[in-house]
Parts: sequence; C-alpha cells; structure tokens
Amino acid sequence: MDLSFCLQLLLNGIVIGVIYALVAMGLSLIFGVLEIVNFAHGEFYMLGAMLAYFLTMNARLGYWPTILVVTAVAVGLGYVLYEALLGSLQGEGFERSILLTLGLSMVLQNGAVFVFTTTPKMMQTRYSYSNVSLGDLRVPVMRLLALGLGLLAFGALYLILYRTRVGKAMRGVAQNRDAALMVGIDPRAVSRLAVAIGVGLSGLAGAALAPVYAVHPLMGFSFVFKAFAIIIIGGLGNVAGAAIAAVGLGVLESFVGGFFPLVMVDALAFTSMIAILLLRPQGLFGRGVRV
Amino acid sequence: MLRMRRTVAMAVVAALAFSGFVGAQEGPVLIGASIPLTGGVAMFGQHSRWGAELAIAEANAKGGVLGRKLEMDFQDNRCNPAEAVKSVTQMLAEKKYVAIFDGLCSSAALAIMPLVERAGIPFVVANASATSIAERSGVGGNKWTFKVNPTDGSMLDALVTWLDKDGKAGSIAFLGEDTDFGRAGSSGLEAALKKRNRKLATVDFFQKGTADFTPVFTKIKAQKPGLLALYAVDADFQNAIRQWYSMGGGVPLTGRVLVDQVPKEIMDSGFLDGTTSVQPYDPSVDTPGNRAFVEAFRKAHNVPPILVSFESYEATKVLIDAIRRAGSANPAAIRDALATTKLPSMLGTTIEFDDHNLAHNNAIILTIKGGKVLVLGMSKT
Repeated sequence: MDLSFCLQLLLNGIVIGVIYALVAMGLSLIFGVLEIVNFAHGEFYMLGAMLAYFLTMNARLGYWPTILVVTAVAVGLGYVLYEALLGSLQGEGFERSILLTLGLSMVLQNGAVFVFTTTPKMMQTRYSYSNVSLGDLRVPVMRLLALGLGLLAFGALYLILYRTRVGKAMRGVAQNRDAALMVGIDPRAVSRLAVAIGVGLSGLAGAALAPVYAVHPLMGFSFVFKAFAIIIIGGLGNVAGAAIAAVGLGVLESFVGGFFPLVMVDALAFTSMIAILLLRPQGLFGRGVRV
Repeated sequence: MLRMRRTVAMAVVAALAFSGFVGAQEGPVLIGASIPLTGGVAMFGQHSRWGAELAIAEANAKGGVLGRKLEMDFQDNRCNPAEAVKSVTQMLAEKKYVAIFDGLCSSAALAIMPLVERAGIPFVVANASATSIAERSGVGGNKWTFKVNPTDGSMLDALVTWLDKDGKAGSIAFLGEDTDFGRAGSSGLEAALKKRNRKLATVDFFQKGTADFTPVFTKIKAQKPGLLALYAVDADFQNAIRQWYSMGGGVPLTGRVLVDQVPKEIMDSGFLDGTTSVQPYDPSVDTPGNRAFVEAFRKAHNVPPILVSFESYEATKVLIDAIRRAGSANPAAIRDALATTKLPSMLGTTIEFDDHNLAHNNAIILTIKGGKVLVLGMSKT
C-alpha cells in the first residue's frame, strides 16, 4: 500500500470524524448541562437534512442561506423542545428523560416517514459533483464544506463556552446546578440555551451533510448511536472530549475499513466504548468536570 | 320467561353468525401481504404495494374473480423475519385470506414458508431473490410456496455468461450489503464463476444503513479489479453511487446495479459507461405489455415503476389467474391452479413453474453507454 492510499484514508477519516463531531458535540452539551440523554438528537439531524433538501430543491434557496435558515430553525426547535418537554424534567428521574426522548424520536421519525415517505432524496447543489484533487488525493467539495462548517461550529462553541459570560454560566450549571443558582445564575435559562445550541448543532450537521449523504427519515437513527459511543469515549458531558473522540474514531474507522473487512468498522465505535468503560470509566477526557 | 329470553338470544346469535357467514362468502376475495412498509427498505415495500394494487385494480375493473372483488391487506414486516412471522401468523389466525403474498425480503420470505406450509395456504413470492427459497419449494419441499421472480443464482449465471463472452469475468471484486440479498449475490457470483474455474477477486460486506463508503472504495480502487459487483439498494445505493462518483470510480460496475436509480447528473456525465447489470426487469423493455404497465403506473403514482413494482404486479397477476382458474377460494385448489400456471409475461416468455415451483422468466442484461441505459439483451434464467 502506497503513501497516497494512506493519505486518502487519513483525509477521509478526518472529514467523517468532524462530521461525527458536529452531532456528538450537541449531544454532549445537552447531557453536560441537563444530564439528559437526548435520544431524539438524531431526528433533529434528520429534520435539518430534510429541511435543507426542501429549501434548496423546492424553494430554490442557495446553499449558504439554507445553512443559516436550517440552523436558525433548529435553534428555535431547541427552545421549543426545552420549553415544551425537557424543562418539565428538571430534577426528575433519569429514566423519564430516556423514555420521553425515545418516544419523541419515534414520533419524529415516523412522522417524517408519513410526511416525506422513505424514498431517499439527494440534495443537489452547484458543487455536488465537484472534487478537489491533489495528486492522487480526491475530496468532494461538499465534504470539504462540511468539514469547514464543522470546524467553524467547534470554534464558535469553544468561544461561547470559554470566552463568554453565558458560557461560564453554562459550565457552572454543568458542574454544580445548586451552587450556580446560589451565585445568581438562572439554571433554567442556561439549560434552555444549551438545548437550543445542541439542537442547532444537530440541525447544522443535517444541513451540511444533506448534499453528502442520501436524505431519508431513518438517517438519524444509526448516527445518534455512534454519537452516544463517542460522547462516552470522550467523557460524558465534555464537549471538547467528544470532538476529539469523534475525529479519532473517524480516522480509526477509515483505516480499519481500508485494511480490513468493512463490517468491522461498525463494531469499532462500540468496542472502543466498552474498552474505555473498562479502562477509564470517566472517558478519555473526563475529569469529573463537565462542559 | 328466562328460557324464552335464552331462545331469543340464541336465535339472534345464530342469525348474526349466519349473516356474517353469508357476508364472508359475498365479500371480497382477500389476499394477505407481508411487506416492509417501514424501515430501511420501505421504499421497496411501497413500490411492491403499488404494483400489486395496480394488478388488483385492473382485475376488479374487469369484474374481479369468482364474481367477487379482490382485495389485498398489507401488513408491515420491516424486512425482518421475526416481524414477518408475526404479521403472517396474525393473518393466518384470521382464516379469511386465500393466499399470502410476497415477504419482499429473502429472510422474511424464508421465515414465512414454514407458516404457510403448516396452515395449508399458497404463498406467492414476488421479489425475494434468495436461491434457497426455490431449493426448499416444490418436489421434496414446501408445496405451498411459488416463486415468480428469478433466483439470484440463475440471474448471475446469465450475467457471468455474458461477461465471460467478452473476457470480462476474470477479476471481479464484490461489495454488497450484509443481508440475504448481498450474501446471495456473493454466493451466486462465486458459483457462476466456479463453473468457469474462476473466483471473486475480493469480497466485502457492509451493514445496511452505512452512510460512508469512502474507506472501502479507497481500498477497492487501490486493488484495481477489472469489475466491481455492487449489491446495494435504497439509501445505501444512493450513498454508494455518489461517493463512488466523487472518488473518481475507475472500475466499471456490474452485478445487480440499480441503473434506474442512479442520479441523473451522474448518469448524464457518462461516468458509469461500461457498467453491466443483470435485472429481472427494466422499464425500457419494449413490449406492448410493458409499455401499457409503465404508462398505467406512471399515471397512478407519477413515478416510473422499478423492478419491485413490476415483480409485484406480475406476481399478483399470476395469483389472480390461479384464483380464477381454481374456480373457488379454496387454498388447496388455488395451489393446484398455481402449479399449472401458463401466463404470458410482459417480458416475452410464458410464466410456468418448474418442479421447485420456480418460474423461469427472462433476465435483462443492461449496459450504460453515453449516459444512457441500454438493454443488451434478455437471457432466460
């Protein structure tokens, strides 16, 4: 196997890893602040992709306006999700949140099947069939754009969490909700914002990936389970850990798929998760301090 | 007084039961279908349903069968054997169906087979392509199962014959979904190549729902096989074909490539020129029967039929013909009528079942040239 083969695998792995990170970071943020495992997270990714498809293919909106509109709608949906459902779980059992979000996932998925049918749709943009070539290496333009959006989202989220007062408040609530309340932070407002950002990231991932993968109502289901494995590997509630674990997993999957039978790739995320849980239960980057 | 009340009640019950019985005799002839209406291959289930419903609608427009209307009840099996068993067990318990239809997925059809055998009710397989369905049917096996579409083995033998003629069967890599469909494709190709003292260059499977194929395509490109046999359907096929395109391809495709589902931009670019595919059907087959079918299907659903729509349409017609010739809704009589089927197919042959209750219709060998799908020829399976 030559160098260009390995470089192509590395490049593919980084791109898919950043794509995983887009979904996993939102999931991690919501868990970090609310201690809720959002099983419906994949469905917001699917809805983001569906909306992006309809905005570009039916409303003839351009790629960049579509990304902005879908992200804004997803952030709005996050607010609604918190106010209508998750907010009422504050302080309630962990099991209730699982049942609630799992139920919501089923409703959203089957609702999408009913409305959009299961026929896979391909979103077309002017760059859908363009590639960037460097010697033997080839990367589709739409994947590069998804990569760019992923990096941008990670940068923005990092700045919000570590360079703003609201980010500090979020980290405070994640670390100790009662203590945060005592120093004047409104946990409800912070939680609402965390869900909005988390769902917004998921919607952004859907819009960024709609031109890359086939869009259909079941696309979120398998993705979200991999995201669960990623956030456990990275350290539950640790957003940066989730991002690093996602990129690492993407690269590992690419090399395993390149050198071994492809069926081994699917087991990789969960095998790694089990190994991490056995060797380092708090996750690779977990320090008992979240977000 | 009490006795009189009892007598009246019994009379009412008897009258209701009798009227129900009469109703059942005068009601529609019911066929039970178990197909995936949700899940990863629900799109195929939808097309199967549309195809079967079109055949039923045409029969009903001509007065139905046995002087009664025909109806097909569809139950969801999610392409899952356990769900298929559940749905068919439920239908069989109701004892109102004269036959069971399709299963669609090979693993679902294989799971249904013992149930219909125990219940003594005909099972018409329209789409499932596993060779083992035919191997287990007819002589020495399940006498209630009839397979209208060709098996993977017979289709791939026809394809390899075609490829070998052009000296292209020497180095074929295989990539297929890890289901009965993909596994049957791999074993069918291996068997067809073995007859010619050849074997597959590489074999790889992927889980259904896999979104990213870039690692395996990078590997296949590096191995430089002569052809790549691709066994993917639905969203997996859409993802695979687009990623293959964006990676520059470089190896012509073969196997059961769903040429009718390739995105127009990719097809028009000529990227897939040189692809050779074997299919049980293609909408472009130029026969009067197929032209009428395509037109009627388009009119009803605003999309062209795919092979699943065709197979369900033609298999439903086979079943309707058998019910008509049986002269009764008795399942055993319908089974006997199915065994003696001689029905013209839209593909130019006559549908007849062999000792293993398998029909041998034509397979279509397709190629892509100049961004257009061309029928290279038809080969009897």
